[in-house]
Amino acid sequence: MSAVTTELELFSKKKATTILLCLIATMAALSVLGNAGIVFALLFALMLTGMPVSISLGLSVLTFLFFFSNVPTEAVAMKLFTGIEKFEIMAIPFFILAGNFLTHGGVAKRMINFATALVGHMHGGLALGGVVACALFAAVSGSSPATVVAIGSILLPAMVKQGYPMKFGVGVIGTSGGLGILIPPSIVMVIYAVSTNSSIGQLFIAGIIPGLLLALTLLTVTWMVAKKRNYPCLPKASFMEVARTFRESIWGLALIIVVIGGIYSGLFTPTEAAAMSAVYAGFVSLVIYRDLGIKDIPKVLLSSASMSAMLLYIITNAVLFSFLLTSEQVPQELTAWMISLGLSKISFLIFVNILLLAAGNFMEPSSILLITAPLLFPMAMELGIDPIHLGVLMTVNMEIGMITPPVGLNLYVASGISRLGLTETTKACAPWILVMLVYLMIITYVPVISLWLPQLLFK
Amino acid sequence: MMKYLDHLEEWIITFLIGAATLVIFVAVVHRYSAGLPIPGLQDWLIGLNMGWAQELCIYMFVWMAKFGAAYGVRTGIHVGVDVLVTRLPETWRVKCVLLGIFGGVLFTGIIGTLGTLFVWENGMHYAVFSKLGMALPDDVYEGPTTPDLEWPTWVVYSAIPLGSYLMSFRFLQVGWAFFRTGELPHHDHGHVDGIEEVVAVDSTEAIEEYEEHKFDDAGRGGVK
Repeated sequence: MSAVTTELELFSKKKATTILLCLIATMAALSVLGNAGIVFALLFALMLTGMPVSISLGLSVLTFLFFFSNVPTEAVAMKLFTGIEKFEIMAIPFFILAGNFLTHGGVAKRMINFATALVGHMHGGLALGGVVACALFAAVSGSSPATVVAIGSILLPAMVKQGYPMKFGVGVIGTSGGLGILIPPSIVMVIYAVSTNSSIGQLFIAGIIPGLLLALTLLTVTWMVAKKRNYPCLPKASFMEVARTFRESIWGLALIIVVIGGIYSGLFTPTEAAAMSAVYAGFVSLVIYRDLGIKDIPKVLLSSASMSAMLLYIITNAVLFSFLLTSEQVPQELTAWMISLGLSKISFLIFVNILLLAAGNFMEPSSILLITAPLLFPMAMELGIDPIHLGVLMTVNMEIGMITPPVGLNLYVASGISRLGLTETTKACAPWILVMLVYLMIITYVPVISLWLPQLLFK
Repeated sequence: MMKYLDHLEEWIITFLIGAATLVIFVAVVHRYSAGLPIPGLQDWLIGLNMGWAQELCIYMFVWMAKFGAAYGVRTGIHVGVDVLVTRLPETWRVKCVLLGIFGGVLFTGIIGTLGTLFVWENGMHYAVFSKLGMALPDDVYEGPTTPDLEWPTWVVYSAIPLGSYLMSFRFLQVGWAFFRTGELPHHDHGHVDGIEEVVAVDSTEAIEEYEEHKFDDAGRGGVK
C-alpha cells in the first residue's frame, strides 16, 4: 500500500521461500520469549505483508488480546477515541496545514533569495544558499519532506542551470531538508513529546542549537567540496540587496517569532501556536504574497486533512499498542533485563542509535518513534539520560532514516523533483549519510549541545 | 451514489480542519482582546465563554481523523512496509496484498462493531428508547456528557463506528478493485500540487542547456 519501488530485483521462488522460512523461524523464536515476544512477532508478521503500519499495530493488539490475554476487547474501541483525545496532539494537523500553505511557492522563493544574498558569493554559492534556505524554511515548517519540496523545487533547476551536477544538488538539498524536523517547529518532536509526556516547548527550544550546528556542518562540508571542485560563485550582493531580500522575506520569517516566541513567552500553548501559524501562513500566502487564490484553499485543506488523518490514525493505533505493552509490563521487563546486563549509558546509546538507524530503513519516522519511544524511554530514565536529550537524539536518527533507502521520504521527494531515479538519488545522498553519522555521534555523546539552551531558558 | 459518498467524505474532512483552525484562532484572539481596556467591548468579550474551544477542536480532529483515514484508504495514503512484498514473485505478491487488505477490512470491521456496542451501551440505547417512548430496561442509564460542551458522549464517540465501518467499506472497495484490475490506489508522497509541472519543464531545459555547454570554458564552473 505504498511506494512501489520498481528498481529492486525480484526474488526467485526459491529465494523467496528461503527468506519466508527464515522469517517464520525468527517469529517463532521471538514468541518463545513470552508475551512481549508474541506481540512483536505478530506485529512484524503483519507489517511484512505490506499492510498499513497503523492497521498492523491495531490488528496485532486485537489478536493478542483475543487469544493470549484476559483484558476485555471492548476496552479497545474506547481507547481508539480517548487515545488521541489530547490537545497537544492536535498541534500536528495545524503544523501540517501551516506547512502546506508555506510550500506553495511565495515564502520559500523569498527565503532562497535572502539566503543566496547572504552566502552566494562564496564557493558553491547557490548550494550554500540552499542549505541556509533549508534552515530558514525549517524554522517555519515542521516537516522534512516539505522543506525539501519547498526549497528543492525552486533551487535544484537553478543549480543545474549554473552548472552544478544534479547529483550534488540533490545530495545537498535532500540532506539539508532533514533540518526541517530538527529546527523547531517539528512534527516529529511533537510525536515524541506526546508519546513520552515530555514538554513540547522544551524540546523545540532544545532543537535550536543542534539545528544550527547541523546547518553549520553542512555548510562547511558543502563549501569544502565546492572549493575543491571549483563550483561557481554568485556576484557579491550589496548591503542594499541583502536588506531588500530580507525585507521581502520578512513576512515568512516572522512566523519564527510567532511559533518560538509565542511558546517560549507563554503567550500560546504549542497547539495554539501551531493553529496561529496555520492561520498566519494562510494569510501570508493568500493576502500578502498572493501565490494562492481563494479557490485553492479547499485543496490545501483537503490534502492537509488527509495527511493529518493518516498520522493521527497511526498515533491512535500506536497508543493502543503501547497500552497493551504497558499492561503486559513489557517496558518494565525490558528495563529490568537491561539493568541485569549492567548496560552503561554509552553502550545503551549506541544500541539506541543502531536500533533506530536499522528501523529507519523500513519505516517512516512517526511510526518508528511511536513504537520505540515508549520502550526506550523508561530504560533511558533508569540510566539517567535526559528526556530532552533523548528526544533530540531520536530526531537526528529519524533525519538520517529519511535519506537512507529503501524507505526514505526525503529520497522519494528529491527524486520526484529532480527526475533522477531512486537509485541515483540514493547514491547522490550517500556521502552525506557519512557526514550525518559523524554529527549523530557528536549529538549522542555531547548532551550539552541539546541541553544547554533549554536549561538556561527554563530555569 | 458512490460519487456523493466520495464528495461527502471530502467535504466533511475539509470543513473540519478549516473550522477547527478558526475555532482555536478565534479563542486565542478572544483571550487576548478581552484584556484590552476598551469600554463596552471588553465587557461583552469577557461575557463570552470560549472555554469549550479546546474540547470542540479535539472532537473535530478526532472526527476528521476517522473519516480522513477512510478517505486515505481510497487514495492510498496509508503507508506500509513494502520492502519484502514488492520483491516477491507475482502470484505471491498478489496473495500478500490481498491478505493485507483483508487485515484492514477485518480490523476496521471489528473496531466498528465494538464501537457500536460501546456507543449503544453508553447512552444511545437510552436516548433512542426514550425518544420513541419505549419502555426502558432497569440497567439502561442515560450516558455521560462531555465536560465543557455538555454534549452526550455517545454522539461524540459515534465517530468510531461510523468512521471504522466507512473505512472497512473502503478497504473492501480497494480490495475488489485490486482483485479485478491488479491496481492499488497510490499516493505519491513526493508529489506536490502545482509545483511539479513547472519544475519538470524547467529542469529538463536546464539539463539540456547544461549538457550543451558543459565543455564550454565560458566562465561556467561545471565539470570540465
